[in-house]
Amino acid sequence: MNDFSELENELKKLRPAQPSQILFERVEEAMGVWRAGASPARQPKRSPYNWLSLGLGLAAAAVLFLFATINMERTQERREKIAQISPAPETSSVLPERRNGSGGSTSLNRFIPTGATQVVYNTRDEGLQFALGSEQPLRRLRYQTHQTWQWRNPTTGASLRVSYPSEEVVLIPVSGQ
Amino acid sequence: MRTWQRLGYKDREKVMDNVGTHENWKSCFSEVAPGLLLFARQWVQSAADAEDVVQEAFVKFWRRNHNIENRALLYAAVRSIAFDFIRRDKRRARREAIVFADAEPAIEPQFEWQDETQSTLAAAVGSLPHDQREVLVLKIWNELTFNEIASALGISQNTAASRYRYALANLKKSLQPQ
Repeated sequence: MNDFSELENELKKLRPAQPSQILFERVEEAMGVWRAGASPARQPKRSPYNWLSLGLGLAAAAVLFLFATINMERTQERREKIAQISPAPETSSVLPERRNGSGGSTSLNRFIPTGATQVVYNTRDEGLQFALGSEQPLRRLRYQTHQTWQWRNPTTGASLRVSYPSEEVVLIPVSGQ
Repeated sequence: MRTWQRLGYKDREKVMDNVGTHENWKSCFSEVAPGLLLFARQWVQSAADAEDVVQEAFVKFWRRNHNIENRALLYAAVRSIAFDFIRRDKRRARREAIVFADAEPAIEPQFEWQDETQSTLAAAVGSLPHDQREVLVLKIWNELTFNEIASALGISQNTAASRYRYALANLKKSLQPQ
């Protein structure tokens, strides 16, 4: 117990002046936005997920899915072409029906390759080398390229373009003359 | 008319927690506002100016969603905004500087006293040096710990404690019959 306890008690009995009613009204007005439901305490807490990497992952997954879809359709198209070439009159009579009927829905999703570019922006000669068991030397060339593939859906007019960097190593046989 | 009632420490913590969770901010504000106003009056002369300071500080504190457990931050905000308030008006700043330099206290905490004894006590509080008075205001009427006072004022805990003791000693001295 300190020797100021009595004084402290006396001080605590003193009441600070009350704020005016206008202050409450002003604060209420300023708080209006938050009272409408945007309480800072109720704001969603920051998610532990990294949204950037999540977004990139989803984008990559979408591209892979589109690739898979296009490849499947191209394979199916090749099969149909083979079927058309083969002499089977029954089949040829059925095919147009399929294209006009149930095939119509697949044509909506069909993308046709419209272009492919490969820009070689760096070539490096990595010298001669001998492959195992070979007496002929091979020149090892490394190409760094940027490839772009384009597809277009003739029905909907939608187009798809995929670009990616690639690296290619080519071994060229060198013949000594 | 609602009467001001001193809250126990636990109750005060509860009120401050409520401020943090935005549950019935009005009642929370009505509980902390008198202490905040009294604290703001350490720098601004009129009650109206003090109310401006408290409003700005409370709303800013609320919107920034500071952790209410750090009570010192709310009082530091009041102090900081009070300084900004003074700076905004150079004439006012000069006047305040003169007041602070003067030994005679012109800025008195505003109290509602009930008898002559309390009136004398309020006057004695008003006559304390500024640095002691602000510690006393935070300790007695805002119930901050010395650690919180130190954080709010940017001083060490020991300095806060010693200023408090000097304030009490000075008060006791000034209240003793001559």
